[in-house]
Amino acid sequence: MKLAGNDILIQSLIEEGVEYIFGYPGGASLHIYDAIFNQKEMQHILVRHEQGATHAADGYARATGKPGVVMLTSGPGATNAITGIATAFMDSIPMIVISGQVQSHLIGTDAFQETDMIGVSRPIVKHSFTVDHQSNIAKIIKEAFYIATSGRQGPVVIDVPKDLTNPVDLFEYKYPSEVNIRSYNPPIEPEQSQIDRAVEAIIKSKQTVIYAGGGTISSNAAKELFELNSYINAPITNTLMGLGVYPASDKNFLGMLGMHGTYQANMAMHNADLIIAIGARFDDRITNTPEKFAPNAQIIHFDVDHSSVSKIIEADIAVFGQVKNSLQAMNAKLKSRLSEINDSRLDAWRNQIAEWKEMHGLDHDLYKNNSDDSPILPQAVVQHIYHASNGDAFVTSDVGQHQMFAAQYYHFDEPRKWINSGGLGTMGFGLPAAMGVKLAYPEEEVICITGEGSIQMCIQELSTCTQYKLPIKIFNINNLALGMVKQWQDMNYDGRHSSISYEDSLPDFTKLVESYGHVGIKITKNSQLKAGIEEAMSIKDKLVFVDIYVDPNEHVYPMLVAPDGSLKDMWLGKGEKT
Amino acid sequence: MIEERQLTLIMENKPGALVRVVGLFHQRGYNIESLHVEPINDFKPYKFIEDELNTKFSEGEISRLEIKTTVDDPLMRQILRQINKLIDVIAVSGNEGTYLKGVLRDENLL
Repeated sequence: MKLAGNDILIQSLIEEGVEYIFGYPGGASLHIYDAIFNQKEMQHILVRHEQGATHAADGYARATGKPGVVMLTSGPGATNAITGIATAFMDSIPMIVISGQVQSHLIGTDAFQETDMIGVSRPIVKHSFTVDHQSNIAKIIKEAFYIATSGRQGPVVIDVPKDLTNPVDLFEYKYPSEVNIRSYNPPIEPEQSQIDRAVEAIIKSKQTVIYAGGGTISSNAAKELFELNSYINAPITNTLMGLGVYPASDKNFLGMLGMHGTYQANMAMHNADLIIAIGARFDDRITNTPEKFAPNAQIIHFDVDHSSVSKIIEADIAVFGQVKNSLQAMNAKLKSRLSEINDSRLDAWRNQIAEWKEMHGLDHDLYKNNSDDSPILPQAVVQHIYHASNGDAFVTSDVGQHQMFAAQYYHFDEPRKWINSGGLGTMGFGLPAAMGVKLAYPEEEVICITGEGSIQMCIQELSTCTQYKLPIKIFNINNLALGMVKQWQDMNYDGRHSSISYEDSLPDFTKLVESYGHVGIKITKNSQLKAGIEEAMSIKDKLVFVDIYVDPNEHVYPMLVAPDGSLKDMWLGKGEKT
Repeated sequence: MIEERQLTLIMENKPGALVRVVGLFHQRGYNIESLHVEPINDFKPYKFIEDELNTKFSEGEISRLEIKTTVDDPLMRQILRQINKLIDVIAVSGNEGTYLKGVLRDENLL
């Protein structure tokens, strides 16, 4: 079959099973958009800003495990997408970003809307391609999808000069059935000798803790992780990126660890004699001061990425491979040695952790206060949302205090339900990400927990939600300021609130969303909270934006003491330290 | 201990491959003291790579890159692993050993 470059590109995406393209057209991508017009298999979602396209594709990818696809034009179209690509890169999310480029003969001449997209995006992509000839387009798409979705996943950029998508010149097209890149062979199966050593260490340990992160979700290994802990029966904590990979309602679950982790999770990590790190990378929000991290612990580290192991914390036992395959190998070995795993070995440890939880665990009953004598607590808002959605909604968030409250108080029992920008911490992520999730799962409840700061960074996508009829529920935890920055200023800068307030210039959010055709609900008192949130959840066919005015002085606790603190050094409340 | 080290890379001779390696040094905060790159025409010393990766190099396809850098020991392992992660890099060798797309050999083979 002979096709033009633009049709080869689009047919290749169809071959890859793409359902949605998130994008924005422009001069350099006009030929490609003509090919999109002429097909029916994929739907193009026209966003209002390219950052929204990347976050929507990212949300789609996090929820489904399939790569999100973004279509951009050259120049400003491409550069507008950079924040979203970096967000996906930091959290290892599979994404294919196709950017139009000026015609080949104009490259390097400062042509209209010319940007060196490959150069600009290089540090924030897993790999990138420049299309050099129409006959290579299909092969490049095949390789791009393979690279984005294998090993440690990530975004791949494909830059396409306009002349190579012209509809006139035809080339032989056959989509390759196989892909083989000799310089790219990510590990899959673990080494058995390391598995044996890991099992040995587990049997001997008396103070085990499992620390599972986003890599466990990327590898679709929730089932294997649960099976692993059915043999070990150890306390387990999840990173911000890992929430949901182990059921939060399980008796062994300690909550999230790290900067705003629970007291018991951070204490368990600090005092462990064995840490089993699974698809997690010892980020600085987890370790606090690396030299003081878990002084007595042996570390087993499961990861697909060699460069993540022993980068921050030296691993004693390193298991390279797909986390799913490595855990399967672990489970087979553990099963064969079940009689040697004495469950009472961890009894004293479990008692100690229960004591920690009793002392300073989170209060999950704050939502029971419906008195109007006190302002609404943001934590209580999340607790109400959790109960009103039966704990099984997809929840996206933006970045800041509301994100931490959501992570602390919404209990995720399944992976891929908690969708947030962990590594890059991108404000503006929540709404467009929720659009991607809702398109992937139109029948499921999709909630965006945001703040009045973050929501305004991609608020233009409210219009996209109208166009494609996306009945997302947005809960705006409104504290009239950039809460997390304010918290740091309270704690470290004697309360000098530099540039965190815009109280007099906020829009009336309910009127704003109504102008887009959505429903707005305003809540200012505790007594309105339960009914207001339940009313929002009961509206199924419309986007509902609930603007909730909360205590502007609330802080997120626990909070690790920094700099120079360890994981046992935490602020537990205002002026209250461990 | 900080000392001058030499790294040798074998990589695909593709546009953009060199700048990814150089860019990585800058992104991760490592400094390059000297750099030399040229295409390989004599493949005999690299037969072990061809065997390991089950491939056959042809003329003009791959380049040899030599980089001198000053770093301390633990950082060197990080650099090797980060470079090995680049898609166009086929093998990288330093004092610590040789990375051949995920496989670590305990000797400097390049």
